[in-house]
Amino acid sequence: MFALVSSVFLSRRGALVVLLLALLAALATEAWAQGKDGSGKRLEAIRSEMDRGQGFYLAGNYAGAAEVFEAGYAAYPYSAFLFNAGVCYQKQNDVDRALAKFKEYVKVDPNAPDLDKVNQRIATLEAAKAAAAAAAAAAVTAPVGDAGVDTAAGADAGAPAPPAVVLPSGDDQNSMKSLVVIETEPDGAPLRIYQRVDANARFTLGAAEHPGWKEVVATHAPANLTLDVGQYHVVVDKFRDFNASEADMAVSPGHVHQLKANLSQGKFMAFLRVSSNVLGAHIWIDDKKKEHPLWGDAPHGELVPGGKHDVLVEAPGFEPFLSSVDFEHGEQKELEVRMVRVNYGVLRIDSSAPEVKIRIDEQAKGTWRSGQDPLDIRFDSGNHKLTIESDGRKTFEGTIAVPRGQILPLHAKMIPKYPRGPAWTQAIIGAAFLGGAIYAGAESNHLYNELQTDRQNGSLEGSDSRATRGKWFAIGADAGFVVAGVLGGLATYNFIKDPLPESSVSQGKLLEFDDPLKARPVAHWAPSRAPRQNVAAAERGPRFQFTPSASSTGGGLFFGGKF
Amino acid sequence: MRARLPRLSLLGCLLFSASACSWSRFDDVTKNAPVVLLEKPDSMNGGFGVSLSTVTNDGQTELLVGGTVSVSGAALYDLGQEDAPGTKATDTGYCTGDSGPCSLSSLTAGFANASGPDRARPLCFAVGSGALTNKQGLVVRCQDFTEYTLGMPQAAQDLLAASIVQNKPRDFPMATDRTDDPVLLASLPEKHLAWFYPVKSTAFSELLVPSGVDVADPSFGRALAVLAVAGGRVLALGVPGKSEVLLWKSDGSANSSYIGCLAGAPGLGRALASGNVAGDVSDDLVVSDDTHVQVIDGSVLFGLPQTDSGECGLSAKIPQAVFDGFDCGSSKNVAECEKSEFGATLAVGDLDGDGAGEVIVGAPKMPVNGKENAGALLVYELNPSGAALVDTRVMSSAEAGDELGRSIVTPHVGKRDIIAAGAPGHGKAALFYCSALLPSGAAGSRCP
Repeated sequence: MFALVSSVFLSRRGALVVLLLALLAALATEAWAQGKDGSGKRLEAIRSEMDRGQGFYLAGNYAGAAEVFEAGYAAYPYSAFLFNAGVCYQKQNDVDRALAKFKEYVKVDPNAPDLDKVNQRIATLEAAKAAAAAAAAAAVTAPVGDAGVDTAAGADAGAPAPPAVVLPSGDDQNSMKSLVVIETEPDGAPLRIYQRVDANARFTLGAAEHPGWKEVVATHAPANLTLDVGQYHVVVDKFRDFNASEADMAVSPGHVHQLKANLSQGKFMAFLRVSSNVLGAHIWIDDKKKEHPLWGDAPHGELVPGGKHDVLVEAPGFEPFLSSVDFEHGEQKELEVRMVRVNYGVLRIDSSAPEVKIRIDEQAKGTWRSGQDPLDIRFDSGNHKLTIESDGRKTFEGTIAVPRGQILPLHAKMIPKYPRGPAWTQAIIGAAFLGGAIYAGAESNHLYNELQTDRQNGSLEGSDSRATRGKWFAIGADAGFVVAGVLGGLATYNFIKDPLPESSVSQGKLLEFDDPLKARPVAHWAPSRAPRQNVAAAERGPRFQFTPSASSTGGGLFFGGKF
Repeated sequence: MRARLPRLSLLGCLLFSASACSWSRFDDVTKNAPVVLLEKPDSMNGGFGVSLSTVTNDGQTELLVGGTVSVSGAALYDLGQEDAPGTKATDTGYCTGDSGPCSLSSLTAGFANASGPDRARPLCFAVGSGALTNKQGLVVRCQDFTEYTLGMPQAAQDLLAASIVQNKPRDFPMATDRTDDPVLLASLPEKHLAWFYPVKSTAFSELLVPSGVDVADPSFGRALAVLAVAGGRVLALGVPGKSEVLLWKSDGSANSSYIGCLAGAPGLGRALASGNVAGDVSDDLVVSDDTHVQVIDGSVLFGLPQTDSGECGLSAKIPQAVFDGFDCGSSKNVAECEKSEFGATLAVGDLDGDGAGEVIVGAPKMPVNGKENAGALLVYELNPSGAALVDTRVMSSAEAGDELGRSIVTPHVGKRDIIAAGAPGHGKAALFYCSALLPSGAAGSRCP
């Protein structure tokens, strides 16, 4: 509208200037949006570090917690990290480092609301340290006794160790300080923060006195504060033309809290943090149809206006989660979403064969050919009968468990069928021998019957040549039967024999569904250790390896193989 | 049923395999075969089985198998007493020429006991003509390898001498009866001479023919037979060229008388045989022509008076003497009789041991199982109702051209006679142990 109005009244040069200004305005808006987004991410990173340190602390891993807090401070120089690190060192009786951290805390945050408490802690630690030093000195100057041993030598060799510093150990999980970030829209509004000292006290806005409440901070927004655990009341005084506003705030130990007051509305914004068991799950706020850019990827926290909001969380392979969250002004809520996987999965199949046909539960599901991307087959999760066929290769049949909401890469190793040529040859030759044997046997029987008849007729002579022929036929028949039997046995064996392994399917690591909002990851097959089939067959092939070797006397490269 | 079929098939295959596996069954079936072939000696290159003669003495039976007439010698086989004959020759020195010139006759004759020049010897055979130690005559060789010659009429001696000098052998057919002391009948067809040697004598006695009888035929004496009858012998001589059979009788001494001449169908007298066909005490005469065989009572013949008649009409005078006549197809339909040379040879033997002999007729040209000229032996039994063909013997391994039945004798083995027949076409001689006439249980190990 602004550009439209300007084009009516300005000259061409003026119009150009207006266009440039509009462009600059757009760039500025983009930069502001990016700054805003960067600020959110920074806060999320700080929150993550603080949570991690707090986790170590609660687990009793003070050294680990101290290390995290130190690193957090190095990356994000907020004094809460320093104080928390000091507490961790104190927990470890490391008085020097604890003192150093507390003193640095006082130095970098001279207006800290708990400055007195920290100074008192420093004094206590120094006193304990001094007491320990005095005790050590007393132990060094004490008489050695009647043993007649040289004092100096006794001091070197037999002096008792200085007594350990005993530090106050009253710190508990609530000792961790939190970082509180308070912003106003617009910036610069005066702030006052009251801490509740009486559990039953109620804060009355506009009253001169606030019994049961103690003002701990008076500053201007934005403010990054390090506060103890407790209940606070934040008051934004009247600023310019904006009215005063206020909000309660509960500070939990070792956290990062964020408050933002929209002074034009006169109310503080609420804070929503969405976490999920699926890292990176996409979150939309008040956008069920996902018509606008997503709000963030879990875990994600951000200020939102008070009131009711629809939260939609989606992740590939999971059922969408939709919930409504109702906020009071200035209220902070964390929505933990436990997403459930969808009840189907994808089999991503390729093979060593040029072409394979896939059937699941006896239903044709497609054909994969060499050179193509792996074939994705979506199917209900659970156990299913998988059949993979390829010409000239052994058919694979097996049960495969289709995962829920994930991609299971499958690589079908199709083994060629064992050639049956020798078996057929033996069978045919055996059949020929069998036929010959049957013929010879029949001829032998025929001759025998003739001889028997002639004998009955009294005309058979002992040297009848038919007897010799019949005998040879009989021997030939026997030999034929034996050879046929042997060949038949060999043929049967060779029909049954199959030294080649069966076709097998190797399962790769489960992959997540492709995320259309991200770059599509390519799911390459990668063998996993657990669900492998036919491992022995896969290891039968020859393998070679080079093994470097080194010792004090030399080195070398060993070549080894397995067949 | 369908399920059983494969099993039954498998069982059948196994049984078939098992039966086919047994090659030893051929040894079993040929062991003690009913027909035994005699092994031809290597020394007999010139034929085998052309002539046969047999003799039995004290239960020992010998068989002499001759080769080609005037060319080869003969071999002796010991047939033993039961069903286990020796198939290898025990003596191959018969008329081989090793001891002197010898020409094998077409008909040889056996002696149960032969009166040699010094003493009687058992189991001897008159095998041919020749000269031994400068003595020419009919050559006799005995089982103990003794050889000697028998004198002949002068005309025969002269011809023999000439034939030896000229190396032109002559045939001297011979025949004996089957008594322990037989009479030997011999002939010289070329000179139309016939003579005999009386019982226990080595001296010949010439048979005289009345002047009215025409004997001028080259077939004179080609067939001979000696019938042992009560009171003497009947000597029969065939002249098939004239279809006549000349008959003499003798009391066993050197005396003989001509009793007549049988005439009949063409070829009558081509083969003669003697044997007790009627089952009485006398041998009977068996004579064949070109198609028929007749059996004539020997005792009737012996009772005929001497005659000088030249007429050859004896058959009409003794019709009661002719028991029966038969031909190849008599009483049974025997195929292939034509051109079978039915009746080429004859023999009489008591094949069933009942005391009456059967007539064995050779048909050497008869086809057997489609094999031309394989030859067969036809056995006829003479019954009161007439003669009947009762058996036919062939060799199971008959070959075309065997000509089984070109020679036949009936060696006595045990309590019966068997048939020995030559098949000179392929040099075979076979013993037929079985007969359809044999009663069950008396057949021996070789017969069913």
